[in-house]
Amino acid sequence: MNIKRVFTLLGKELLHGPRGFILTMTIATPLLITLVINLALGDLFSSAAKLAYFDESQSQLVPLLEENKQLHVFEYDSTEALKDAVSRGAADFGIIIPADFDNLVTSGDKVPVTTYIWGESLAKNRTIITATLLDLTHQLSSQSEPIILATVTLGDEESIPWSRRLMPLTVMMAVFFGGLMLPAASLIDEKLKGTLQALAVTPASLPDIFIAKGLMAALLSLVMGAIILLINQAWGESPLLLLLMLALGAIMAAEIGLILGALINEMNTLFAVWKFGGLFLFGPAIVYMFPELPQWLNYVFPTFYVTGPIMDISLGTQDNETFLQLGIAVFVILVLVFLISRLINRLAGEVPRQAIKELEATG
Amino acid sequence: MSAHLIMTLIKKDLKLFTRNQFYFIMTIVGLVLYIGMYFVMPKTMDETMKLGIYAPGMPLIENSLVNDEGIEAKSFSTLEELREAVLKNEYPVAIALPEDLLTRLAEGEKPIVTVYLSSSTTEEMKGAITALVKQLAFLATGQDMPLEMRSEVLGPDLLGAQIPWRDRLIPMMAIMILGTEILSLAALISTEVEQNTVSALLVTPLKLHHLFTAKAILGIGLAFIQVLLFMVVVGGLSHEILTMTLVLFIGSILVTGSGFLVASLARDMMGVTSWGMLLMIIFFIPALGGMMPGILSGWAKVLPSYHLVDAISRLSNYGASFNDISGHVLIMLGWSALFTISGVLTLRRRYR
Repeated sequence: MNIKRVFTLLGKELLHGPRGFILTMTIATPLLITLVINLALGDLFSSAAKLAYFDESQSQLVPLLEENKQLHVFEYDSTEALKDAVSRGAADFGIIIPADFDNLVTSGDKVPVTTYIWGESLAKNRTIITATLLDLTHQLSSQSEPIILATVTLGDEESIPWSRRLMPLTVMMAVFFGGLMLPAASLIDEKLKGTLQALAVTPASLPDIFIAKGLMAALLSLVMGAIILLINQAWGESPLLLLLMLALGAIMAAEIGLILGALINEMNTLFAVWKFGGLFLFGPAIVYMFPELPQWLNYVFPTFYVTGPIMDISLGTQDNETFLQLGIAVFVILVLVFLISRLINRLAGEVPRQAIKELEATG
Repeated sequence: MSAHLIMTLIKKDLKLFTRNQFYFIMTIVGLVLYIGMYFVMPKTMDETMKLGIYAPGMPLIENSLVNDEGIEAKSFSTLEELREAVLKNEYPVAIALPEDLLTRLAEGEKPIVTVYLSSSTTEEMKGAITALVKQLAFLATGQDMPLEMRSEVLGPDLLGAQIPWRDRLIPMMAIMILGTEILSLAALISTEVEQNTVSALLVTPLKLHHLFTAKAILGIGLAFIQVLLFMVVVGGLSHEILTMTLVLFIGSILVTGSGFLVASLARDMMGVTSWGMLLMIIFFIPALGGMMPGILSGWAKVLPSYHLVDAISRLSNYGASFNDISGHVLIMLGWSALFTISGVLTLRRRYR
């Protein structure tokens, strides 16, 4: 390996490589993935029930609803809009607050209200919304509560919203995507265009080419991952440790990409690999999101050994197991290095032979 | 003559596919993994909140909680057991009522009710349980509820029979299987250009429309067979078999049309990968709506894949019929035609 040649190749890749491809794979796609996942997961795992209301007057119930923490509330300006929202599942429950609501409540009368329930609303959400509406109406009527509630919190685990929990994980997915696809597609493209053979007759060796391509993918993905974390202010309490894990993730992704690039000779196969590779990539996230799934499944995914410590570090729950997983991640990276070197040796035998064949064919 | 030429081209591409054993195995492994993922996911949906109760000598209060459909309540015989269950997060929320609760309420006093919360309990759940306990107290004192709710359930009432996650994920998995075929077809076309085999083919009796027809048939076939196999195994064809098969077939036409569009936008294989991936992710967005109804904004419904996702979701999870999804079928056909025509016209100009 020659460091100067590696950097020359790296510069060539960065300056004269397929810019559109680099832009899409390392910037646009990771950003889009992060955005889509967060938009979806924020809503999917929010445990708050959703209440829609249409206030026919200026009821004092509305500020109470807006202040409460257990419900997500949405205002609609007509009965039709409210019914539409509930029927398509934008809210679990819809309530029309009648014009004389406050007067009836303060006079102690039972207030008739029309409510709409989304047919797919979970039973617990229906219970929570009903209890909250009754509780807030009691507050509005200034009725004295018959009990005193004392709250005792047990344990020292912190409650963290899903959007914050999953941010590092989604960033990691984005890093893996760019880091893997870039070297894989780039190597396959070089093979298809025959430029790998052309490079083989220059002083640049195959290890130089592989290292340059891997470095570029890992660096670009790492920078992109860091930027996404920065934008979302999700560096947590141990930013350096998190950066180290991001770097390990980027290296692992680039290595897997190089292996795929070395093994595969045409793009369609890469896409077929991506079809199930995507599941490998997102596997730990899926297992994490559905606690009902057997947790041992995580150990099947090599990406878990990077995403697992990232989750622990970002949530501040790292322990001995975290560092064991980190160690396994380093071990996996070393095994991948060994595999790549074997593949390079195999390619080193093939590429000059192909180059000679092509030279002979062209006379 | 035309049919013979087209068949020859399809056979050639199929032979290339099957000769590439790695591709062949990966395609099957991918499909098996999706099916495996489906079966690993839970069959049922947990729609209750877990609540521990310590209410010595108050069976009425215990029963009112146990009978609530939204609560999975468990009664504990000692306070220590209750606290232990909360600490272990087996029951993240629990309430302990004092032994003399009813007497003190009857005397007009305000007894203290203790709510135990696991530290990992969310703010939403804390507020919810507080509201719930207060309402129970009002009930226990015999006070009337201040609201008389007249409720109407919109859509089919799935209380107690919620659609499990794995079934909600069916449209998303189908989109992932189909979406990859956008890339495959675009790559198939782009390879002919890059390797210059298209010029070689065009000096034979073969015309461009033969080439495109053969690629389209192959693309539709590959996409359709894979997604159909997936749906058969996961039980997606258990209702309205013909309609679902038609939807999947048109979905395969849609991704094939998109493949032509990607091939026309891309100059080489790297371009195919970039444009294809972007299109795949955009196609994927409406699939989130299949998972979580109500989250999609209006703009997402403009995306062509929305109609595919919604049709699959309604057929497989909501017992819809052809009439309910016929609009989606027409719109998908329209998008497919638009993509295919614009893609083919651009490619035609490029090849001539």
